[in-house]
Amino acid sequence: MYNEALFYQSKYIFKGIMDINFSKEDIAFRDEVRDWLSNDYPKHVKDKTDNGTAITKQDMIDYHKAISKKGWMGYNWPVEYGGTGWSSTQLYIFNKEFGLAGCPPLLAFGVSMVAPVIWTFGNDEQKERFLPDILNFDTWWCQGYSEPGSGSDLASLKTKAVLNGDHYIVNGSKTWTTLAQNADWIFCLVRTDNSGIKQEGISFLLIDMNTPGIEVKPIITIDGEHEVNSVFFTDVKVPAENLVGEEGKGWTYAKFLLAHERFGIAGVGASMRQLNRLKDIISKLDNNDLQKKVNELEVALSAIEITELRLLSALENGGHPGAESSILKIKGTEMQQALSELFVEASGEYALMYPGPHGYGNNDKPAGPDYAAEGLSGFLNLRKTSIYGGSNEIQKNILSKFVLGV
Amino acid sequence: MNLNYNEEQIMLREQIQKFCESEYDFYKREDVVKSPENFDKKAWQLFSEQGWLSMPFSEESGGLGFGPIELSILFEEFGKALVIEPYLATVVLSGTLLDKSSYKNKINLIENISNGSLHVSLAYAEADNGYDYLSPNTSVNSDNNLNGTKTLVLNGGNASNLIVSCKKEGEFQLVLIDSNSDGVSINSFTTIDGQSCSEISFENVKLDETNLIAVGDEAITLINETINLATLCISAEAVGCMESCYFKTLEYTKGREQFGQPISSFQVLQHRMVDMYVESELSKSLLIKAMLEVQSNSKDKFKHVSALKSYVGKYGKFSAKEAVQLHGGMGVSEEMMIGHYLKKMVSIDALFGNADFHLNKIGK
Repeated sequence: MYNEALFYQSKYIFKGIMDINFSKEDIAFRDEVRDWLSNDYPKHVKDKTDNGTAITKQDMIDYHKAISKKGWMGYNWPVEYGGTGWSSTQLYIFNKEFGLAGCPPLLAFGVSMVAPVIWTFGNDEQKERFLPDILNFDTWWCQGYSEPGSGSDLASLKTKAVLNGDHYIVNGSKTWTTLAQNADWIFCLVRTDNSGIKQEGISFLLIDMNTPGIEVKPIITIDGEHEVNSVFFTDVKVPAENLVGEEGKGWTYAKFLLAHERFGIAGVGASMRQLNRLKDIISKLDNNDLQKKVNELEVALSAIEITELRLLSALENGGHPGAESSILKIKGTEMQQALSELFVEASGEYALMYPGPHGYGNNDKPAGPDYAAEGLSGFLNLRKTSIYGGSNEIQKNILSKFVLGV
Repeated sequence: MNLNYNEEQIMLREQIQKFCESEYDFYKREDVVKSPENFDKKAWQLFSEQGWLSMPFSEESGGLGFGPIELSILFEEFGKALVIEPYLATVVLSGTLLDKSSYKNKINLIENISNGSLHVSLAYAEADNGYDYLSPNTSVNSDNNLNGTKTLVLNGGNASNLIVSCKKEGEFQLVLIDSNSDGVSINSFTTIDGQSCSEISFENVKLDETNLIAVGDEAITLINETINLATLCISAEAVGCMESCYFKTLEYTKGREQFGQPISSFQVLQHRMVDMYVESELSKSLLIKAMLEVQSNSKDKFKHVSALKSYVGKYGKFSAKEAVQLHGGMGVSEEMMIGHYLKKMVSIDALFGNADFHLNKIGK
């Protein structure tokens, strides 16, 4: 049957009753997460995120180290590397509760992007060298994928690594590199061979950001923030031992990494928090148009939530995930954008009073609701969500191929 | 948590699919639409033999005791094949209302509904009241005579009995009357989606205490619960339609060649079909949530059915309009099935509260 491919691949015969509730064990786990969020989530970070103040590099480090201390940093890691070994459902609950509490998204580059590549394709020496530092958040990683000429067509990348004795010499540039200004290390896709098809000449290289010849230049985004950067490599000497796996297999590892990054992609918890705040705000405005829009988003968010639960249910009962992460990426990011846009609409003409990330300086805060500035900042910042991680159009190409079969 | 259908439910789905594939193709459906009754007596008898007509009734009433999950499965499959048999009117709107009521003659009526010999229709709507079903102008006077006019009585022309909502001395009540009673006049017509539907007037129809099903709060609860269940059912039907719209459009574009290649190779059409597919899956998710809320009789069951209905009202029409567009001229041909999904989606959106109505309800 058509369409069964997505959620009902599990072959086992189910004799019970359909049930949308979490098990007792999962509820107990949820309570443990909530308990940590009320008691151990660093207060100075919570205060800033609650009132919409930008958080610093040190805040991010404190926040991640607090999670490490609890033993939750390896949230999607197997136990043998010091991870939690959580089930898909636990991971879902963890993500959702952190989102509901308004926590900053966890930095994925180390713990859930480079780490699975290292433990799967790296050698023992690399595992010992890098994994403990990632678990303790002693190193801050960034991702060197996109290039000025290689966005959606990532495999066309040109940054070149030439083996010279026991070193690679790297030349080229990476772009849209998130928080490279804070990073200690960068994992890069580099071209080690130009002779065959473009995917086969790519390798996966780990580079210390302090190596001479690396230059980081800020790119300021339309919300006024410095979040992303250009990273330039000029004759950068990288020890050959920093190559992960085999030369020329980098594209395979990159695809593996993408498949690994499936959970929390919809951002349901964080969107629910925003929705609840909007409902509060709009209920006081007595505006039927806005009320109807927020109701519509509530319905759509519920649809996304249950779709993610269907995926969890399939996984927990022996099914294999298909292309649903693309559905969740598309709809989850559209939701984040729509919610932020509704904050802007609810601000009315105060939406004009956007101070940017550096506040109002010596001037008084202008009149208008507190959520006006935050709304606009989110609205502008979250444009990125439908662009990054495989743009939503690329996700539709993936769905065309795997679901429509065209 | 387990959101899989179980073994029995999968078998039920396969049984209904088998019926739709072998006994109810589009040409057969066209014959039924053109017949005077707008339903097929042979198919109805088969429904009875398969146990589908007694499916949602309690075991005390001789039913199978199945719930909203099984009903949703049935309506999803009926939606895919555009089945127009009067299951909603007789079994859901009338049968389940009687089953939940304390009406003393109900066992006999439910037995006859179950064996296929009796059609009953619910006359809940009136022309001037929109989606407010609790303020009928139809009334019973001090001489116990029923007067008023009901509109959109599904399958009214085939029903031997009518359940009529009305007021007596300001109090809401439900009465059961014989369609052949003096003073009942029935004007039947065919709806946009091929169902039989009637406008029914009552002029001094004589009632006595044997006609009374329920009064006051009990009657209000019966109407609210029944309409909610029926709303779930037609929403499930919409989910089935959406899946068919997507699938049939995909098949069509794979077979249709222009510029020397299948038109499914064009990215602009692929992305539009992906959108149809995604909305079909999201609608399915809301259906699962709503049917489980109704099943567990939670206090939020009305809200979740409204959420579902608002979504399929909007995106059901979206899917059907896209299906018509992507079929090109074929999409607007009466003799092709695809355009009939659009009529079905218009009808589903309009029935029991459209998308806007239910969206506004959620906020309250």
